[in-house]
Amino acid sequence: MANAVTSSLSLPARAGAPATRDTALTRWLLTGVALTFLGVFLILPLVVVFAEALREGFGVYLKIFQDPDALAAIRLTLIAAGVSVPLNVVFGLCAAWAITKFKFRGRSLLVTLIDLPIAVSPVVAGLIYVLVFGRQGWLGPWLAEHDIKIIFAVPGIVLATVFITFPYVARELIPLMEEQGVEEEQAAMTLGARGWTMFRRVTLPNIRWALLYGVILCNARAMGEFGAVSVVSGHIRGQTNTLPLHVEILYNEYSFVAAFATASLLAILAIITLVLKSAVEYRVRRQMELSARMGDES
Amino acid sequence: MSIKVRNVSKSFGSFKALDDVSFDIPTGEMVALLGPSGSGKTTLLRLIAGLEDLDPGAGSIRYYEEDIAGQPVRKRRVGFVFQHYALFRHMSVFENIAFGLRVLPRAERPCRRRIRNRVHELLGLVQLEGMAGRYPSQLSGGQRQRVALARALAVQPRVLLLDEPFGALDAKVRAELRHWIRKLHDELHITSVFVTHDQEEALEVADRVVVMNQGRIEQIGPPGEVYHAPQTEFVMNFLGQVNTFRGHAVGREVQFADIALAASDGVERHGDVRVFVRPHELDVLPQKNGKPGFPATILRVNAAGAVARLDLQLPDGALITAELPQDRYARLSTEAGARVFVTPRRVHVF
Amino acid sequence: MRRLFKRRPGKIPGFPLTMGITVTYLGLIVLIPLAGLVLKTANLSWSQFWATITDDRVTASLRLSIGASLAAATINLFFGFMAAWVLVRYPFPGRKIVDALVDLPFAMPTAVSGIALTALYARNGWLGGPLSHVGIDGAFSRFGIVIALTFIGLPFVVRTLQPALSDLDAEIEEAAASLGAGRLQTVGRVVVPAVLPALLAGFAMAFARAVGEYGSVVFISGNMPMKTEITPLLIVTKLEQYDVAGATSIALTLLGFSFTMLLVVNGIQVWNTARTRA
Repeated sequence: MANAVTSSLSLPARAGAPATRDTALTRWLLTGVALTFLGVFLILPLVVVFAEALREGFGVYLKIFQDPDALAAIRLTLIAAGVSVPLNVVFGLCAAWAITKFKFRGRSLLVTLIDLPIAVSPVVAGLIYVLVFGRQGWLGPWLAEHDIKIIFAVPGIVLATVFITFPYVARELIPLMEEQGVEEEQAAMTLGARGWTMFRRVTLPNIRWALLYGVILCNARAMGEFGAVSVVSGHIRGQTNTLPLHVEILYNEYSFVAAFATASLLAILAIITLVLKSAVEYRVRRQMELSARMGDES
Repeated sequence: MSIKVRNVSKSFGSFKALDDVSFDIPTGEMVALLGPSGSGKTTLLRLIAGLEDLDPGAGSIRYYEEDIAGQPVRKRRVGFVFQHYALFRHMSVFENIAFGLRVLPRAERPCRRRIRNRVHELLGLVQLEGMAGRYPSQLSGGQRQRVALARALAVQPRVLLLDEPFGALDAKVRAELRHWIRKLHDELHITSVFVTHDQEEALEVADRVVVMNQGRIEQIGPPGEVYHAPQTEFVMNFLGQVNTFRGHAVGREVQFADIALAASDGVERHGDVRVFVRPHELDVLPQKNGKPGFPATILRVNAAGAVARLDLQLPDGALITAELPQDRYARLSTEAGARVFVTPRRVHVF
Repeated sequence: MRRLFKRRPGKIPGFPLTMGITVTYLGLIVLIPLAGLVLKTANLSWSQFWATITDDRVTASLRLSIGASLAAATINLFFGFMAAWVLVRYPFPGRKIVDALVDLPFAMPTAVSGIALTALYARNGWLGGPLSHVGIDGAFSRFGIVIALTFIGLPFVVRTLQPALSDLDAEIEEAAASLGAGRLQTVGRVVVPAVLPALLAGFAMAFARAVGEYGSVVFISGNMPMKTEITPLLIVTKLEQYDVAGATSIALTLLGFSFTMLLVVNGIQVWNTARTRA
């Protein structure tokens, strides 16, 4: 009966038990309202980006990407993501290792601090770098003296991106490694493995999907960040414009088709992120469940 | 309240959980559904409660004479105690017990004071006075079990259904609660059904035991009857330890291990049979005393406990177990390695 | 740090190295710059700080940001619960795709969301047109701000609720039913209280995120001072006018708010583990 259908969708088995089953009318009504809500808030905005981008046809759409300013923006976005993702991977691995394999005082404070950038408004994130590196900032005079430009230049953009994407890898790794504990590493050590070998042969295979998941989220955030980067960028065309900033400039100049065409590039990136995320998420969850189950048995 | 289960079958996908099950539960009795996991006992209990739907056309369940097929669980007035209690974690003990009264339709709902009195009355019944303000996470397993029971009793159920009521408790609490629940039943006389996989529990607590296996009923009867007169090999094996022999039947007599004895049920049989003897139905003697018996060697003796358990080896190498009261074992004055003589008092043949 | 490590000799290696990198990096990227903000504000006198943040334009923006964020988080509380319920409980074709799409507001760059929502809700847009017929300005209004903030907060509520709902023991719903509760009573008295911590945490996160949100709002809000100017935008405006002190004061207020919300979310989690630890 209904059971066979639901099980293939990996719904909980309880869906079939009469006491927890809603009437067909309730089901239809709730599903209808929820899907309408999600449709209006999720699908329409996505569709409108492509509709506006292709408003004047595919030829015009493609021509947008021959604009040198657009190409420069793409390059800068790739640089920002290319620096911040690896940095945050290294940080995320270190933080997760220190936090999950050792007990020390202030551990939960550290976890909270790592989450901080998610709670901080992106505009505030940009501002704090202006206050440190800006002309009137702490290091401003010294930087001016040595002719180093950080704010309104590429380093500032990279820094702001690193800040915004700071927690994402660590956040994915910590719960999983917490669940996995230290037993496997200790076993590896009794078998003679040393630090790096142990990490590479024992820890890394156990966390690879969660790591990839963190990288995907981190990258999406890095390429798409707007508020923080906007504050430190100075909006110099062809030099300090990332893709999202380029979208803003085009939009404010009423070049709507160009703005949406550029935006569509970022929307495609978002879709790819979602697809990869769903694919990896399943494996992360399974690894988590496996570790949890092994923990229960021991 | 009597319950009549008639020709009930239930499938989950291609798995047949229950296969044409029929039996009666007389008013005021406490019945145990006993069986190994996968025998369908919990499914049967959930069907009686209305937590599962009957397959269309596959039997009927009647409370007294009322067919309750299609009646949702909340209309059936059953008290159901879940294996893991399913207490509402965000509610205090008081709120948990009062829940069933609070959700009654306005016209039937007792006033605040009556609810309070009723809850305190139940707390007294389950011996948890003074715990009203606690939360489930602050209670021990046995206390949670009793809160779950009080909650189920609050709505004055027509039947009380318990799913593995002692399964999640440790051995000592389990034994205490077993006695207590039987005593409670003798006071309240609510028709009750409980599911268990523990034969000792079923035999000790129930008025009547329904032994189930692979979705079918193997035997129904009072505890003494299912234990002493098992009707099938499965029941014989499931209810307590048993020694098995290959034998040959001629009329009412069976021959095994070089001896011939009358079968306990007096049924005539012919051909190869399996012969069962419970450990306490074996006598162990220092030497032959004229009764039919066979020689054996003592491998190991465990004298700790109410009875002494002897692991014995027969001349053909087969291993059997015998149980002797402590005083008889003392009189036997023997130890591991000694040769003895074994005579069965009673044999079951299938 | 060395002493800490010595207390566990011969165990898993790498504590000094990883802890060192973690603390250094955290300090350089997050803590020192944030401390800079606090110190910079400390240079101002208390009256200067107070005058800045009680300025009419600033209080109007704070009222708007907090009010619109609360409205958006509340919308998400209801519809997010419904969406999570449907996604967890009901099978329907395309469930997996819809489920993946819930993260769109997170994955989509905020500027893109901003212009997309604006195009959608502007007077000539797909939804703005019909709305203007019933007298509602979709874009360039407070309505538009709430729309954008609802979009941004959606994943927070749904994603915190989904695991809570699917972890919910089916037996407690069956218990409620066996005690005579109807479906609505079961949901209202048993299910919602059981997932309340997740509901509150999701609400708090959506709210916190919305108050600080910038990219998706600036396009649709219209940015009229005193009317549709959100607080993060005001910080940017002050900065562009080289009023660093003003920008810093407002930023500190916003930061204080972020910290508070972070504490609230942590508090909810602590409360929940204490409540349900069995």
